[in-house]
This record gives sequence, C-alpha cells and structure tokens, in this order.
Amino acid sequence: MPVGLYCRVAEQRPRAPRDVADGRSRAWRRAAGAYAEFWRINVLTTLEYRENFLLWALFTLVYHGAALTALWVVFKSFPSMNGWSFKDMAFLYGLWMLAHALHNALFSNVEEVPERIREGEFDRVLIRPLDALFQVVTTPGQIFPDEALMALVYFGFAVWYSGVRVDLTFVAFVPLVVAGGVLIDLAINLLIATVAFWVVRVDELRWIFLQLESEFTRYPVSIYSRGVRLLVTFVLPFAFVNYLPAAYFLHRGGGGFGLPPQAGLLTPVVGFAFAAVAYGFWRFGLNRYQGVGH
Amino acid sequence: MKVAIAREATYRFGVFASLAAFFMRVYLLRMVWLALYAHNAAPRGLPLHVMLTYTTIALLMGLVLDIDQTRALHDRLHDGSIATDFMKPINVPLFFFADGTGEVVFRMILLVPALGLALTLVHIDVPSAGAAAAFLFSFTLGYFVGFFLNFILNCTAFWTLEISAVQLIVTWLTDLLGGEIVPLALFPAALGRVAYALPFAAMFSTPLSIYVGLIRPAQYAGAFASQAMWLVLLAAISAVLWRAGARRIVLQGG
Repeated sequence: MPVGLYCRVAEQRPRAPRDVADGRSRAWRRAAGAYAEFWRINVLTTLEYRENFLLWALFTLVYHGAALTALWVVFKSFPSMNGWSFKDMAFLYGLWMLAHALHNALFSNVEEVPERIREGEFDRVLIRPLDALFQVVTTPGQIFPDEALMALVYFGFAVWYSGVRVDLTFVAFVPLVVAGGVLIDLAINLLIATVAFWVVRVDELRWIFLQLESEFTRYPVSIYSRGVRLLVTFVLPFAFVNYLPAAYFLHRGGGGFGLPPQAGLLTPVVGFAFAAVAYGFWRFGLNRYQGVGH
Repeated sequence: MKVAIAREATYRFGVFASLAAFFMRVYLLRMVWLALYAHNAAPRGLPLHVMLTYTTIALLMGLVLDIDQTRALHDRLHDGSIATDFMKPINVPLFFFADGTGEVVFRMILLVPALGLALTLVHIDVPSAGAAAAFLFSFTLGYFVGFFLNFILNCTAFWTLEISAVQLIVTWLTDLLGGEIVPLALFPAALGRVAYALPFAAMFSTPLSIYVGLIRPAQYAGAFASQAMWLVLLAAISAVLWRAGARRIVLQGG
C-alpha cells in the first residue's frame, strides 16, 4: 500500500511549462510537496491505528525508562564512573536520546531497504524519476515523532537536572551537535543498508551495530581500552554523538589522543563527513545493484 | 523440532553473529564494571569477581531465555494457518512447544563454546558441584517460567493480532526487573520489593544468585518453591487462555 500511494504523491502536481532556469527550483518545490504529503499520510496512518501507536509509544517509554532506571540503580551503589556522576550520565543519555530519536523520526525508512531489496520491491524505486534515497526516506508508514517529543522533554529535564551551564555556546551548539549526531546515526544506517545490495540478510549486522551504539553512547568512552576508544572516535564516531560534546559542556576533560575539549563541538563536521562517506558508498552500491532476480 | 533446528542452522551467519555479539557484550560490560569498581567501594557481598561472573552468566542465560519460543503460534494466528493445525492429528500446544524447543536445543549447543571461552578468557568463578547442580535445576525452572510467560503473550494474539510491542515491553521489563542487567541485590528497597514480587526474578535472578552464592544452600528450597509457584500459576493461566482461544477459533469457523 505505501508504495502505491507514493506513486500518486510523486506525480500529483501537474507540470506547468516554464523556463529551464526555473526547472531546478521547481524540482525542489516538488520534492518539498512530496515530503509534506509524506508527513500528512504518516499522521493519518497513525490516527488510523491509534491503539497500536499507543502501544509502541509505551514501548519507547519503557525502553528508555528501563535504561535510565538501570543506570540510576547502579549509581546508587557506585556514585562515580571515571569522574562522571549520575547527573552527568543523565545529560549524556539525553544528548544521545535526542539525536537517536530524531534520526528515527526522519530516517527510520532506511532500515527497511534490505527487506525491500529481498522482496524485490526496491526495483520500483529505481525506475522513478526521483532520487532513490529521497524515495526511500519518504515512503509513508506509521511514522510519528513520538520518541523525538519524549526525547525533547527528557533533554529539557536532563539539562536542568545535570546543572550544565546554559550559555551562548551551549544554545548555539546543542542543535548543531544533535544534527551531527543524527547524521552519524544515518551514516551507520545507510552503510548497513548498502551492504544489503550484496548480502541478502543484514539483520544480524544491524543488530550488532545497534548493540555497539547503545553500549558506546551510554557510558563515558574513557572507561574503554585504547583500541576501543580509537575505534569509536575515528572509525565509527559514536564518541562524537554524545560523549565528546557532553565532556565539553560538563567540563569533564578531553577525549584523549591529544584532542582538546573543544573537539566535542566538531560533531556537525564529523557527522557531515561520515554521512558523505556513507552516501558515496550507497551510490556505489546502487550503481552496481542488479536486482535479486525475481 | 528437527525442522526447527535445521532452520536455525541455515542462518549460520546468525550463529556467528550471536556469538560475536555475545563476546562483544561480555567484553564491554566487563570494562563498565572494572571502571565502576576502580573508583568506588565494592557493595557488600558483591566483590568484582562475583559481579563479573554474574554478568557473564546472565548474558549466557540470555542466549537461551531471550528466545521467543512460541513465536510460531503467533505467526500461524496471524496468517490463519492455525486452522489447518487444528485438523492435523497432533496435540497442537505440544507442537508449538516442540517447535520452540528445537531452537532452544540449538542455542544450548551454542552455549558450549560460549561457556568455554567465558571460562578461559573472562575467568568467571566456577561454583561447587552442589551449587552447579542447584543452578541447573533452578535454570530449568526459570526456563519454563519464561516459556509460559511467552506462551501467554503469544496466546493474546487470539484476541489482538498485533503483539510485538507488548512482547518487547515485557522483554525490557524482564531484563531490568529480572536482574539480568543489574543484580536485584543492588536495587533500592522499594524497587527491589517490586522486582521480587514479579515472575521475572524467577527467570534470571534466582538461578544467578544460586550460581554466585548470594542464595545459600539453606535457602535453596525456598528459592525453588517460589520459582515452582510461578511456574504452576503461569502454566494454569496458559491452559485457560489456550482453551478460550481455541474455542474462539472454532466459533469463528477457522
């Protein structure tokens, strides 16, 4: 059903004969229109399946609630982890949650790519005159930014609770850092989805990366051995999602490897670069993709 | 059951991924606890080596206990093929039990290399023969508590077909309140009372506490009794739900 709907969405607006110079802006406007339609259908779908939506929202609440409760219980007995208190951990978690939840609201469809390749559905995306990734991202479904709203509320609480200093740098950089975190999440997701062009099942691979992400973003990266720290700083830059920025905002020392504390503000740059690499890999895979032979 | 084992073995990459993910988690959690013990006084009764043993064994148990053993029931309710199952000359609940058991046996085989490596690499504590036997018995009871809990959840698919959200909620509650992530001994009094009053503790906390010696031999009988109580209670609820669900199928005409 979603794919069929999409077809109509993409072709909804009639072409008006205009100047060639106008073509680019028209393409953008058409994309924006399709994107708005994508969210309209999402909201309608969510309203249609209200009970299901509420159950999933409850799951999200339990998921984050259980993770934070476990942290809280541990820190009752062990008040400090490499100099980080529970209040610091609450902020660390909030920064990750915000980026992760926003990623889920905007780009969760990328996760569906392997399944759609396996079913042969993906080939439809390739024959339409719109960017393949844009079509993937804007496939309507039961998508609602409930987790992002929860994350926003929780982040507000964590900022107050942790007592982090809210100055101009903080206000200016938190949105950028969160955007960078979203891009890092998207890059990982896109890399895994691209592997599906060659390998039929990537569920396990995704699961391993999910596990890695939840471990590396929950605790200060400084507790890990040198090799692991190198990995999460320079190869899979999870440290830039929340640890390095949080260490800067909370004055908890730098990230090691001679990086100054200000390196934590580089998250948007790192995110953009990592996402660009992932997009390059995606284009590479897309160009070589020949279908699964349905 | 044989079919289920074969199905699992087909996804060999899945097996290696499970093992890889297992070791990754053991390794990473080890660093978490090392960091926590380095900067704080150890809580009473839980020195570092006990905590590391607890965590590793909990992850090992998770390999088996996190399986959705009666998933086939939910799937068949979803696509309607349950109707033909009722026509076959088989005991239908037993069929689902066997189907899930195949997967469990397969995971049990997986446990052998995992346990071997855990013993040599992480140096977890080895319990006395008596404690080991009590652990295995308690683990078996806990397995069936988990089985019936799972069966009840899958049975609710007779009434509402979409149950994945509920199942995941229960999974996360089990991980936390069952003591899989953090030993219940560390829980503050009020939360601890809640956790001990729920069936999840019978799945993880009781066998684990026996393994690391938090439950002493004199307390074994009481621990088994509480597990057995949950087992009987959940089995009874399963039986009632199954009957009601099966009748509903017949009433609807398949």
